[in-house]
Amino acid sequence: MKRADRCTGGRAVGTAVLAAAFLTASPPVRLSGQDSQFGIRGLGTPGRWESVRSRSTGGAFAPFDPLSQLTEAPLADIGQLTATAAGGTSHRDVAVGGTTAALRSTRFPLMGVAGPVGPRLAVAAGFTTYLDKSWDVWMRDSVLLRDVLQRYIDELTSDGSVADVRLAVASRLSRRIAIGAGVHVLAGSTRMTAERRFDDSTFHSVQQSAEVRYDGFGVSGSVLLGLAPGLTLSGWARSDSRLRAKVADTTSAVTDLPRMAGGGLLFAPSPSARFAASAVWRSWSQAGAGAFDTWSWSAGAEFAFRRMPIRLGARSGQMPFGPGTKAPTEVAGSLGIGRAFAQGRALIDVGLERLERRAGGGSLTERVWTVLVGLTVRP
Amino acid sequence: MTRRRLALVGAVLLVAACVERLTAPGRCPDYCPSGQITIVDTLLTTSINRDSSYRGYVLAYEAALMLAAHVPGTTDTLDSRPIFRINGYGSRLRISTADTSTGAILGADSARLQLYVLRRDTATHNLTLRFYRLPITIDSSTTFGSVVPFTDSLRSVNIDTLLAQPGRKDTLTGDSVVVDTINNRLVLSLKLDSVAARYVGTDSGTVAYGLRIAADTPASIALGKGSIGPVLQWYLRADSLGTPVARKPGALGAAFASFVFAPPPAPLDSTLAVGGVPSARSLLRVTFPKVIRDSSQIIRATLFLVPAVRARGAPADSFVIEARTVLADFGGKSPIDARVGDTTVIHVGATDTVKTDTVKIEVTNLLQLWAADSTHPTAILLRAQAEAQFLGEIRFYPSIAPAFRPTLQVTFVRAFPFGEP
Repeated sequence: MKRADRCTGGRAVGTAVLAAAFLTASPPVRLSGQDSQFGIRGLGTPGRWESVRSRSTGGAFAPFDPLSQLTEAPLADIGQLTATAAGGTSHRDVAVGGTTAALRSTRFPLMGVAGPVGPRLAVAAGFTTYLDKSWDVWMRDSVLLRDVLQRYIDELTSDGSVADVRLAVASRLSRRIAIGAGVHVLAGSTRMTAERRFDDSTFHSVQQSAEVRYDGFGVSGSVLLGLAPGLTLSGWARSDSRLRAKVADTTSAVTDLPRMAGGGLLFAPSPSARFAASAVWRSWSQAGAGAFDTWSWSAGAEFAFRRMPIRLGARSGQMPFGPGTKAPTEVAGSLGIGRAFAQGRALIDVGLERLERRAGGGSLTERVWTVLVGLTVRP
Repeated sequence: MTRRRLALVGAVLLVAACVERLTAPGRCPDYCPSGQITIVDTLLTTSINRDSSYRGYVLAYEAALMLAAHVPGTTDTLDSRPIFRINGYGSRLRISTADTSTGAILGADSARLQLYVLRRDTATHNLTLRFYRLPITIDSSTTFGSVVPFTDSLRSVNIDTLLAQPGRKDTLTGDSVVVDTINNRLVLSLKLDSVAARYVGTDSGTVAYGLRIAADTPASIALGKGSIGPVLQWYLRADSLGTPVARKPGALGAAFASFVFAPPPAPLDSTLAVGGVPSARSLLRVTFPKVIRDSSQIIRATLFLVPAVRARGAPADSFVIEARTVLADFGGKSPIDARVGDTTVIHVGATDTVKTDTVKIEVTNLLQLWAADSTHPTAILLRAQAEAQFLGEIRFYPSIAPAFRPTLQVTFVRAFPFGEP
């Protein structure tokens, strides 16, 4: 018995150390969600504020998940100090203009710590990706210079993201009602480069680079309503001010950020089966030309199978930036499993997501496989 | 144990997964950033002012080569002749290596003169070198008029005939030639008989020679100096206790080597002279627009110069002029910034159109330096890359000639609009 305790205790400590390493050692440039060519023209690709567990259900469980940073009210039920981190590797095939490029990236989109500070009060701190701004595009073209058509290759790159640093507080007011609120500080930077290499070496190569810094601010609020035993309704809203871009201490752009609202329904007919659905609206169109308001929905389920829950889900929606008059669309299916260790003090969640994004005219299609790994520690 | 292995495999996979590959073809403008690289090409017609020329940087006797030329022109003939002096051993020579006893030098049986031909036009046929004995008083003040005409003829050698001999050796005259294909030069070894190789003890054995060239077409060659200069091997007779003995002392190099030529270069005027002997340089002062300096990246800059006087010489005398900037503008004494430079070739005597063709020099490196260092003087110095090693001198129209003045064409890129969505 003693040996078993020592073993499980050791695992818990090891897992906590691993989680701490996850939370502290990852470079900030990797703190981005998921890249997309649709984000190049606009502000970027909006991140997913979901834990691996919620994302494995298509995001349907996010409004009820205290470890996802979508809403605050579920934090009221967190019960004990908890830290979480998520990582994912994406393999993305981009088909544009008759060519297909195979891309690959690894990201750590979510980290957070939450815990109770009183009988009815819980707080959380963490950050997630607000906008991913990592991309690298090249194009071949020509320009008439000195009466000669000069062929060249341009390569424009951006490496970085805008992170959403959230401080949240939540309270369970009654057995049926929990509320929460959060403040969001948007901060980040991108290292941008623009290169042009002429075929004619008489023209020197162009190489310019700059570090663009971003800042913004937002507030959010959410509520959980217990409608009936096993049936919970969630509602949330968020408003962000504007995103200011600065290059060398000079403001280069100020862009209005969207207001957003969403809701979800969780149905748990038995301890071993849970179903959820959610929908979100975001007013991205105020970000300027080429931006669209977006709707997205998701549905998912989680089944307890011995000590290893099985999750699956689907989601669909719109992308906020794209050419033409219609917003690009995305559709995804996902599944995942979880595993608890060290008497439930450490949880590892693994998910797999298949995603397809498509522009209105079919000019660009992205197909993405993403493998997700989440680590949660409850010391 | 199995779990540890799985953890290890997982860790390896995690590390392997951390690979970025984000480069994808862009389809513009739909899936490209809104900002684009903007290129501007502008011709600065009035930015070059206060230009002037200076002469006398490298004189003939300071040149790294000796130039020989015979280029007939419409009004005169360009005639350049190498001259060199080789000091002798004195009037006495050490007879034996076993002691320090010396004997009077009675005379020379023969000598062998070695010359390096570093530059020649292989299209020139019947290239003949004629050797003359000159007064041993020649020095750096010797002029063409003070030694020409050469009168004391020694002998001559036809290079083409010698090259055509079996083994490139003439068994009759004792001359030979070695073609050094690695260094791209000829090593000429000429035998001087007892008449030509006259060892005069009262002159300490010092001899001086001059050289003329001729060919079927305009001819121009360059002979080496210094370590690859003329070498004379004497074969002497010395008195050893009343008995004449043959001795072969060590070979001697030239103590003085230069060349004289006519006609001399025309005096400097308002045109911009570059090259020639003594070498000439021109300084062009540039008003560098702030809009280019401050907010752009220069990707190409070209200096256009219109020749006012064509460069003289044989086709082999085509030379390279270089544009450099200066560390400080002190006129003709401006110290040159050796870090960056741009060059172009001046084709001598190709066709008459050379006279009217515009010379272009890419000066991108110079303007990029000016853009990077705003304290750097914005002046361009034109000079021959190998000063005083070519007789050719080109003259360009100066800034006071409005129709033909030097101009700069600059292609630059505006600052990229980073940070704009």
